[in-house]
Amino acid sequence: MKKENVLEIHNLSVSFHRAEGETQAVRDVSLSLRQGEVLALVGESGCGKSVLCKSLIRLLPKGADVKSGSIRMEGKELSQLSEKEMCKLRGEGISMIFQDPLTSLNPTMTIGRQIDETVKLHHPSWKKERRKERVLELLKLVGIEEAGKRYDSYPYQFSGGMRQRCVMAIALACNPKILIADEPTTALDVTIQAEILKQLKEIQQKLGTSILFVTHDLGVVAQIADRVAVMYAGKIVEYGMAEEIFYDARHPYTWGLLHALPYYAKERGGLEIIPGFPPHLTPPPAGDAFAIRDQYALRMDYEQMPPFFAVSETHYAATWLLDERAAEARKLIEERKSRNRSIREEGGNKDKYEEKKEQKEQKKEQEDSP
Amino acid sequence: MKMSYKKRIVIFLVSIFFLSVLVFAMSRLAPGDPLVSYYGERAERMSVEEKERAMNRLGLNEPIIVQYGKWIQNAAQGDFGISFKYKQDVLQVIEGRLVNTLILGGVGFLLTFFFALLLGIWCAFYEDKLLDRIICKVGTITSCIPEFWLSLVLILVFSVNLKLLPGSGAYDIGQSDNLASRMQHLILPLIVVIMSHLWYYAYMIRNKLLEEIRQDYVLLARAKGMSAGKIMFGHCVRNIMPAFISIMAISLPHIVEGTYIVEMVFSYPGIGTLSFESAKYHDYNMLMVLCLITGVIVIFGNITGQAISEHIDPRMKEPVRMEEVTDSDGR
Ligand SMILES: Nc1ncnc2c1ncn2[C@@H]1O[C@H](COP(=O)(O)OP(=O)(O)OP(=O)(O)O)[C@@H](O)[C@H]1O
Ligand SMILES: [Mg+2]
Repeated sequence: MKKENVLEIHNLSVSFHRAEGETQAVRDVSLSLRQGEVLALVGESGCGKSVLCKSLIRLLPKGADVKSGSIRMEGKELSQLSEKEMCKLRGEGISMIFQDPLTSLNPTMTIGRQIDETVKLHHPSWKKERRKERVLELLKLVGIEEAGKRYDSYPYQFSGGMRQRCVMAIALACNPKILIADEPTTALDVTIQAEILKQLKEIQQKLGTSILFVTHDLGVVAQIADRVAVMYAGKIVEYGMAEEIFYDARHPYTWGLLHALPYYAKERGGLEIIPGFPPHLTPPPAGDAFAIRDQYALRMDYEQMPPFFAVSETHYAATWLLDERAAEARKLIEERKSRNRSIREEGGNKDKYEEKKEQKEQKKEQEDSP
Repeated sequence: MKMSYKKRIVIFLVSIFFLSVLVFAMSRLAPGDPLVSYYGERAERMSVEEKERAMNRLGLNEPIIVQYGKWIQNAAQGDFGISFKYKQDVLQVIEGRLVNTLILGGVGFLLTFFFALLLGIWCAFYEDKLLDRIICKVGTITSCIPEFWLSLVLILVFSVNLKLLPGSGAYDIGQSDNLASRMQHLILPLIVVIMSHLWYYAYMIRNKLLEEIRQDYVLLARAKGMSAGKIMFGHCVRNIMPAFISIMAISLPHIVEGTYIVEMVFSYPGIGTLSFESAKYHDYNMLMVLCLITGVIVIFGNITGQAISEHIDPRMKEPVRMEEVTDSDGR
């Protein structure tokens, strides 16, 4: 059964207009978010993830504007809403969590009051006691212990993890249908990150919220996402179900991202990084923006923007490698990959990390034996 | 860290003490003849012995330290001596004038900051819109106009040419209790006091607010559905209040100084004009008291400003308790 889309983005382009010229931060992005799913948006720093998110709730920074495209929430075109209607929609329909929990809360206002503010905005008729009840309920929902005591605390009395939980409470205050989480755990350390992810997943299952989860960490994606969209230089280059992306990626950029994961590093012997830097978007290159960093790039990739090719019903990738005419190249890549694999399996080149480890152990033995 | 009230009072008293020593020494070491203010024209015709006797009688021949000791003894009992010029108890002369100054300075001060806050909020809210840019340009120009020049222009236009408003004094003769008359006399000096300080502070407030608007919490507040206006008043203005009050307190000397200049140009009978006269005529006792009053206003402003801003900002109020930092995440 195919679930219905709660949010549909069609051919969205967002640009910054500055003295140097136009920066195309988001280029022709089409995405849809389905009822009750977690869609992860993955990409390197600067690829336009935040700009995309902010355009969804119409809070783009000064100088940026939506050049073309449409954003529909349950069939409603967001650009047609008045600012007042948009205010109502934010919080009730779409909420957002931001990257840095240390600065996302007003330092001079108690946590309770900041959450209460949201409840009050969207339920103006509620009495004070009822609102307080709701705030305490929310604090419990996001896993803050002794909510009653915490109500009158200021943000500076909380750690980063707890502040992010409070931000989550604010975002969830009015049971939004859609939650946009823009790298909500990037600023936190790994253990807290895992806890918060677990909490978010639990809440998502309990409330049935659809989540657009932005991150640059595929490891995080594996923990939480149902579907994944990979973004590069303002464009979506590949999207599909999480398993499809992890086990059957088709775009060279996705390969690069996957190979940079520690898990693969063990298998392949050493972390692989993607060479080079993301391109400037003022103006963006013709063709596939990843081509210059891509060891498998075809000439076509430099010249013309690849369209999306369907890999399966749910899995699409934008690379010329999937074109019929590139069958030859695909075969070569497969051969090269298997050759690499066999070389490694022979143990011909031990990776540097293990060599070092062995050296260390030898040294230690020498020292131990007097 | 929070300062105790006791400590603040001690700082206040010590500052006042040093101020009194400084003014006492400086006024007496400055060249000039105090007898001129006491005897007026006659002083020039007095013989050396006569002068000597007069100086003795006024107690001006003793060493400065002894003079200061006597002065402080009397002052402690509320006796600040007589004014050489007015030959009256100093406090009596000052009384009426202090009220005039407090009216002009106080109303000017409050209005300046009221308008500065409004203007600052307006400009920050409409940042870089046409009106904001116009106000910024006009504001910068007006804040460069010297007070005395602006006063003279206003007097020339409104009292000399148009004859709409009086250009000097605090009230019409014998009408010191007539509110309407006082208000009329206040208008021009007030305009000058406000105009010459307004933009300086409005601009400060505007920039503070712009800094605040760029904070991440504003984005979160927007994302939860608050309108820009509500965020401006409910969060941003609220957050700059401690800074605003500090600015107000620190600006006291600035505005007192402005008020004194305005008083002189408008011959407004306040303590500004009086200070100027007493310094000019070596009216020592008068000068002492006026300097102390000014000092008390300024130092008091600074200390209370600090106290208030610490009181408002919760981060300043209490030290972070350790058990609150290690929380459920820090297991
Ligand atoms: N305020 C701004 N003014 C001008 N250009 C901007 C601004 N914010 C973003 N950009 C441009 O938009 C591009 C995308 O930025 P964005 O913040 O969306 O990246 P991101 O993918 O969220 O990165 P990160 O992982 O670091 O958060 C950047 O390369 C930058 O050039
Ligand atoms: Mg970002």
